Amino acid sequence: MDSLVPTHAPVNSEDTFAVLKTFIEEIIGEDFKDEIDIRRDSSFTADLELDSIEIVAFSEKVKLHFGSKLDFTGWLSNMDLDELIALKLSDVIEYIEACR
Amino acid sequence: MAKFLFVVPPFFGHISPTLSVGASLLAKGHEVLWVGITDLADEYIPEGGRFLVPHRELEPHRAEINRILRRQDDGAALSGPQVLKLALEETYIPFAQMMREGLMRLIDEHKPDVIINDCITFAGGLCAYSKGIPYVTTTPVPPDVMGDALQAPKIFEWQQRLMRALQQEYGIYTDDFVMHSAQMNLVFTSESFARMPLAMPHMKFVGPVKGRPNHTFFDFNALDKVTTPKVFISLGTLLVDIRKAFFEKVIEAFRDEPLTIIAATDPAIIEDWPANFMVQNYVPQTRLMPFMDAVVCHGGFNTVNDALLNGLPLLVTPITYDHFHTAGLVVHSGAGLKLRYKRMRAEDLRAGVQTLLQDSAYKTASARVRDGFIAAGGNDQAVAYLEAFAASVTCNSTAIV
Repeated sequence: MDSLVPTHAPVNSEDTFAVLKTFIEEIIGEDFKDEIDIRRDSSFTADLELDSIEIVAFSEKVKLHFGSKLDFTGWLSNMDLDELIALKLSDVIEYIEACR
Repeated sequence: MAKFLFVVPPFFGHISPTLSVGASLLAKGHEVLWVGITDLADEYIPEGGRFLVPHRELEPHRAEINRILRRQDDGAALSGPQVLKLALEETYIPFAQMMREGLMRLIDEHKPDVIINDCITFAGGLCAYSKGIPYVTTTPVPPDVMGDALQAPKIFEWQQRLMRALQQEYGIYTDDFVMHSAQMNLVFTSESFARMPLAMPHMKFVGPVKGRPNHTFFDFNALDKVTTPKVFISLGTLLVDIRKAFFEKVIEAFRDEPLTIIAATDPAIIEDWPANFMVQNYVPQTRLMPFMDAVVCHGGFNTVNDALLNGLPLLVTPITYDHFHTAGLVVHSGAGLKLRYKRMRAEDLRAGVQTLLQDSAYKTASARVRDGFIAAGGNDQAVAYLEAFAASVTCNSTAIV
């Protein structure tokens, strides 16, 4: 089965985390990336303080990188408000892992 | 002649267009009243109109109302889903509950022919429906503001549940939602700018309205002596806490630049303003706009409308509420650019304004939006719709008698 995994996709959750962290750093930009500590348990809203423009940019990157198997927008749109408010980086990692 | 009663929230951005339409109705000889939840200074109220607050019934809620009003400033620090909760669950619905008793009394006392309720002031629609009085809704923002969020089934369900529970508290058990008029909804933008070509026929896009009283002083003589391009910068009437940080960035971006910045903010937030800044807390925005070359704002809809009505290019830094949606519409129309607010860099702000001033495409696109706004008819069209509505409902009731 391993041969079916696209070569550009990371193979474990540490790698997934590293990729997502890079995305967030790219979106936040050089000037600001030292101001925040990006961790697996960082929440998108309270900790990373991503606004709508940045979250859209993040989900574009996720879709582009992890490919069509993953319906990231659909996954988000099935949440209620409290789930969205509490959403953490680790939730996204788990979702990506589960889609493998 | 008819008697119109506007029901408005305690947010000036929502009250403002009703004052303009109300002024035009009064000029045509109609009787016009407003009911709000907090007082409005006399200077804002059109001559001959009256602004009522049912203080007696609101008294027990006053502390809670003040708490909710203070809470609005938190919007700047909240995420999209938190803001939805703040708006509907913590603001619109409690206000609708608190206004009910006093508004019912004022309706009984004044017997309006038509009630005109603002789109977030549900009490207006619900009381009108309960009393059997015909009503129109006013929408001062692009209408499908919650559109994306409501496509999420659980969020849609949450919204429906809250609205239904509110109606039931009012003793209204219909399956339809009646807080907004199904007969007529006046929207103060154009269909094409709001990107709603297939809107329902009762949605009447009349474009921006103007003409509310505004006696605010501004030193137009000093403005007249300015020779560099003039950029108007405002964060509107809410969001007071974040002004210092925002204008510090504005100063970093434009200090000593060959521009004049007209900043609408309390000058006291900054100790030393650069020489190329003119700063005043409240400004006569509609009278200032014709002299400007570009506008920087957060996407509050009245400022966006004022800029577009003057064919000005805009840089929008959306902060919260509906600002992101409005910023998207500005960018799509070609009339401006958007820049993220939280991690805004002074150099991006400066580059954005330079682009707007140098590339005439933005101005051209803004002029196109303005032409669409003017074609939508503004005050005259709004009054014509309201008069036709009042005539049709008065006829009906006479026929029934």
